[in-house]
Amino acid sequence: MAELTTTKLNAESHLLLDQPLLRMPYELSRRNFKNAQRYLERETSTLLTSLSSTSKVATKASGETHENTLESLDAMISKMQGLKRKLEGLHEEEGKIHRHSKARLAHLQDLFEVQSLVDVKYDEWSRIRLSRLLVDYLLREGYSDAAAHLAQEKGIEDLVDVDAFVACHKIERSLREGRRTGEALNWCKENGQGLKKGGSNLEFQLRLQQYIEMVRQGHEAGAEGKGQGGGEQKLIEARQHAKKFLSGSGDFELLGRAAGLLAYRPWDMVEPYASLYSPDRWIYLAHLFLTTHHTLYSLPPRPLLHIALSAGLSALKTPSCHSAYTSSSANASSSTTTVCPICSTELNALARNVPYAHHTKSIVENDPVVLPNGRIYGRERLTGYNEKVGTEKGWVRDPVGGVNGERFREIEVRKVFIS
Amino acid sequence: MDDLREQIELLESSDNLSASINDVQKAIDLLVAARAKIAADPQTAPLTLAKLHDPLKKTMEVAQKDLKPIYSGLNKYSRALDKKFKDKPLPAAENDALSSHPQLINRAIAMHLLREGQFSVASTFIDEANRNPPRPEPTPGTPNPYLQEACSKDAMHGTFNSEKLQSQFSEMYHILHELRQQRNLGPAIEWARDRSGVLEARGSNLEFELCRLKFVCLFVGRDEGGAITESEDGPLRAWAYARSEFAPFQNRYSRDIQKLIGAMAFWPNVQDSPYRRYFYNDSAWEEVAASFTREFCSLLGLSADSPLYIAATAGAIALPTLLKLQNIMKEKRTEWTTQNELPVEIPLPPSYHFHSIFVCPVSKEQSTDQNPPMMMPCGHVIAQESLNKLSKGARFKCPYCPGESHPRDAKKVFL
Repeated sequence: MAELTTTKLNAESHLLLDQPLLRMPYELSRRNFKNAQRYLERETSTLLTSLSSTSKVATKASGETHENTLESLDAMISKMQGLKRKLEGLHEEEGKIHRHSKARLAHLQDLFEVQSLVDVKYDEWSRIRLSRLLVDYLLREGYSDAAAHLAQEKGIEDLVDVDAFVACHKIERSLREGRRTGEALNWCKENGQGLKKGGSNLEFQLRLQQYIEMVRQGHEAGAEGKGQGGGEQKLIEARQHAKKFLSGSGDFELLGRAAGLLAYRPWDMVEPYASLYSPDRWIYLAHLFLTTHHTLYSLPPRPLLHIALSAGLSALKTPSCHSAYTSSSANASSSTTTVCPICSTELNALARNVPYAHHTKSIVENDPVVLPNGRIYGRERLTGYNEKVGTEKGWVRDPVGGVNGERFREIEVRKVFIS
Repeated sequence: MDDLREQIELLESSDNLSASINDVQKAIDLLVAARAKIAADPQTAPLTLAKLHDPLKKTMEVAQKDLKPIYSGLNKYSRALDKKFKDKPLPAAENDALSSHPQLINRAIAMHLLREGQFSVASTFIDEANRNPPRPEPTPGTPNPYLQEACSKDAMHGTFNSEKLQSQFSEMYHILHELRQQRNLGPAIEWARDRSGVLEARGSNLEFELCRLKFVCLFVGRDEGGAITESEDGPLRAWAYARSEFAPFQNRYSRDIQKLIGAMAFWPNVQDSPYRRYFYNDSAWEEVAASFTREFCSLLGLSADSPLYIAATAGAIALPTLLKLQNIMKEKRTEWTTQNELPVEIPLPPSYHFHSIFVCPVSKEQSTDQNPPMMMPCGHVIAQESLNKLSKGARFKCPYCPGESHPRDAKKVFL
């Protein structure tokens, strides 16, 4: 009975980890659609305006200017062809995304075919899931080559979003290392609507950074002395920039600080202005971009692997895993036991900080017996081991010590009662 | 699931950009036609252009209108997704003890890749990870008593010795490949023989199993390399092999060897003899391969199956329970009383139980190093704290039987 309840697979509740798997392609296809819409609207209006102006010119000066008319018609044609190319590109992208979605749905559907957690099919499915989680982790940490490589080796390219993450990290790096706002602002433009809906202040922060850099340049140019006007000019530009992009934010405290930058130079080291000048702001921006990106695409803030692993570590961990005493039931020193995954080198240190699993009942082998040294074994395993190592008749060896371990008389082995 | 799939198929087959692309092509055609007309007769330019305006506008409007089905299709799909995942929020990683140890996670992943035989992925990964070392993110909400120690250990070791591990695992895969694909026992036997002392001490009979399989192979007519030969002298060669190789096993496996030699008498028709099961066992190769893998990993102090795989799977099984717990705690605004132990039991299949667990029948607490299980002279076991409480230092009655004893007679046991 207990067996049945612990091995039954409830596919529906098992999908907890898999929401991002379907969300991501959906968000991508929506963005793709928005792009198509934007291109189409923009090109339509430019096309119609240029057509009207051409036709006006043609009507006014009939005859002589037909070459100009042809030229502008050619321009229109090539623009439209450009639009068509763009749309075709998006169409291709759209097809790819839908293919991904379909492959993922099929992959999740496979899980519904499995009834039991001990089924070999579940094992296979879970291995694919692990590869997926690993690729997701690698992508998030910015190890794109390894991620792409692993996805390819495992044949799960349709189940992971390598391209999207590569693009994301390119922008992140442009902020963190390149200290450029261009790419990130471009991204903000592409995702404007979604960002506005989510109340993101990424764009504002990026514009603020642009302003800070302008002010910095202005002060630096001013300090160097040459081209006095250059420094002043830069500061005026900065003020205009602030007027255009920053004044709408409503965060007057921050705006006040920003205005103060005009008076305090980067090397004055006066707070709160110094922290605005600080290069740490770029790291902050990179981080802000990542969180904004992940929220926009419904990605959890932490890698899924972390979520799965911390739950798994706790579920598997027992007080024996970090005990000072060798466990009788799972250790590396005898072939009758397997090494517990938490005791294995890979996870041992990681599991130190997680709580151990809660049990309400003892779990011991059948027919437990105790050796005079206090070690408890299932009788079957103990005799099996001693047969294998060829212990003399009438004697029993403790499996933990190996062939030359402690040896006891068989009559000293006692039954022990564990309830 | 079916609902979602239908929506996607609809989007894929009909609600896509192809209609708009066609419309744009139509607009291009209109422009090209107009251009040709004007080029042929410049006089008509004003008229042609004026005439062009309306159809062009219409075509472009149609192109925009064609986007509508995509929009509504996507919306439908999004609603289906919402429905599917309505009651399945992503568990918040509140008890995330991992983000502060990215080095350890990276090491675990590298070891996982190596043990799975993904050597080239592993080397790409290790390369990238060394170039961009991860940034630990301290997570203040978690119990983290070992943070200092773990961090200094990380720094000391840098990354682990991946080359050594890789060469070890590539040896393992080489041997497994020879075993499974080539049916060649040579490398495996050589490996086992080199470590026969250690293996024997572990009570492993891997070496003998391998040699026995070799004997069987020779007997049924395979040559040294494992290929099937036509010659009839299989039993003879097996006999020779047994004489030269089985001597060291004589003590421990005399019975098994007797069986093998006994089969010699039946060699023309082992199929019908009582020894059939020793000679025609199809799963023998897989069994030997599995036990080889287990021994190999155990000698490295590693578990036979990838811990990362087991832990991630156990995590997925545990998540629904943990999520429920999280919700209840949020509702009742309670906190765990013990940070060391999960507050709920997580039902895992029996194959996920590795250590024996002792739960004291008196206090219902799991035994720990500080509170170990103690066996009373009657053979019943309770936790040390319960023992102290019950006895108060004097003779006391076992809570499970009439036996009386003094606490100093109780003995610490190890599960």
